[in-house]
Amino acid sequence: MPEPTEEQRKQWEEKIKNMSPEELQQLQKQQCIFCQIIAEKIPSKKVYEDSTCLAILDINPAVKGHILLLPKEHYAIMPQVPEKVLRHLSIVTKNLSQVLLKVARADGTTVFIANGAAAGQRAQHFFLHLIPRKAGDGIIPAEERLMGAEMALKVKTAIEKKLLMLLGGKKEIPREESKKEEMKEARVQPAPEQEIFVTSAAAKRYHKEKCAFAQNIPLENKVILSKEEAERSARKPCTCVSGKRIPLVKPDKTEQKNELKKAKPSKQKKEDKPKRAKEKASLDDIANLFR
Amino acid sequence: MRTMECEYCDILSGKSKTQLIYEDDAVVVAAKDMAYTPGQITVFPRKHFTILEQVPDEVVSQCMIAAGKASQAVFEVFQAEGTNILIQNGLGAGQKVPHFAIEIVPRREGDKLNLQWQPKEISPDDLDITAHQLSEEVAKLGNFTAPKKKEEAKEKKKEEIVEKEKGENYLSKSLKRIP
Repeated sequence: MPEPTEEQRKQWEEKIKNMSPEELQQLQKQQCIFCQIIAEKIPSKKVYEDSTCLAILDINPAVKGHILLLPKEHYAIMPQVPEKVLRHLSIVTKNLSQVLLKVARADGTTVFIANGAAAGQRAQHFFLHLIPRKAGDGIIPAEERLMGAEMALKVKTAIEKKLLMLLGGKKEIPREESKKEEMKEARVQPAPEQEIFVTSAAAKRYHKEKCAFAQNIPLENKVILSKEEAERSARKPCTCVSGKRIPLVKPDKTEQKNELKKAKPSKQKKEDKPKRAKEKASLDDIANLFR
Repeated sequence: MRTMECEYCDILSGKSKTQLIYEDDAVVVAAKDMAYTPGQITVFPRKHFTILEQVPDEVVSQCMIAAGKASQAVFEVFQAEGTNILIQNGLGAGQKVPHFAIEIVPRREGDKLNLQWQPKEISPDDLDITAHQLSEEVAKLGNFTAPKKKEEAKEKKKEEIVEKEKGENYLSKSLKRIP
């Protein structure tokens, strides 16, 4: 094909600019040799075919059994391929690799993708090379070099943010060791919580935190006791502490009355009264809700 | 399942100097100190699998998707002119670490990296024979698209049922309307 002149090139560029995405895709398909192979306009040696992909033999293979796996839709490079198609291609790749190991009696397989001309991509159609390998065949000539730990750190700091964004911004999972520590902490924490009892400044009983009575103590009167403190004090344990059951609000009233009766002979009666009234009001409010 | 001498499993347990970039419950992305070109990153499954054939379909898929995204990141962050995605599967393929992995290699014009094989001339007859052998073996497997079809069939059935129900409802409603 003769080289196009400057004018021809400009004309082409303008034409391409004015094209709709659909027309561009159409043009790409016409120009792409692999799209023509998929459309069976060019013959190929098929190995496998389904609705999303086609596996054919490379006509200039690295070695006998060299397979090209193409998505039927036209994509130029890997980042353009939708997840659904990639998913399917990877499963087919896995199975074809297994077949290569068996049929080509290979010691291994190489899966190779080239994105962009700089990476050795020859055609504008994304595909995977599947190459059966034998030790010392020299098909992938290069070897990895030691870049040093600094390079790895640089790469990480540069790419981390972008990669997290692309992969859905998932948070890093903590190491298993730290996980275990967290688990330990989580297990240790609830234990002392059970030892904490709650009472009102003026009340003669103490309760577990979750007890209905404890819920009704106004914040300003709330006193938190440790197990030892609660046992040492003159206060009696509520039924919730002895473990019989956590009382609902109804029996609470009787207790409240008992408390009132017992409180009568005390000298602090006058001081306690306004606080009690507050308590009772809040209790009644909640009791009303239950009815 | 962890082997004692797996470099990639060591990364997860924090023993290695390799930089861990991303991890979720299935996939890990890391930067090693060994690379073909600067900026290379590695994607591998969290669980230990030695070769591709052992990795469950779902995990392979997730790794490939992550590799695609990593490739995009390499393009954008390092302004690479190309990327190579490379899986060396098995000792014969030059696999160094006994843990399935996908390498993402940033490429530039004139980076002097040679990953390209020498293409061979092969007779059409040889191609025919190979294609026949391979496609026969692939047909024997024939199971990697089957589950999808089943799902589709199920969906179709469901749709049919829904349609039937709709039809019945419509019928019963229209019957009720008749005085």
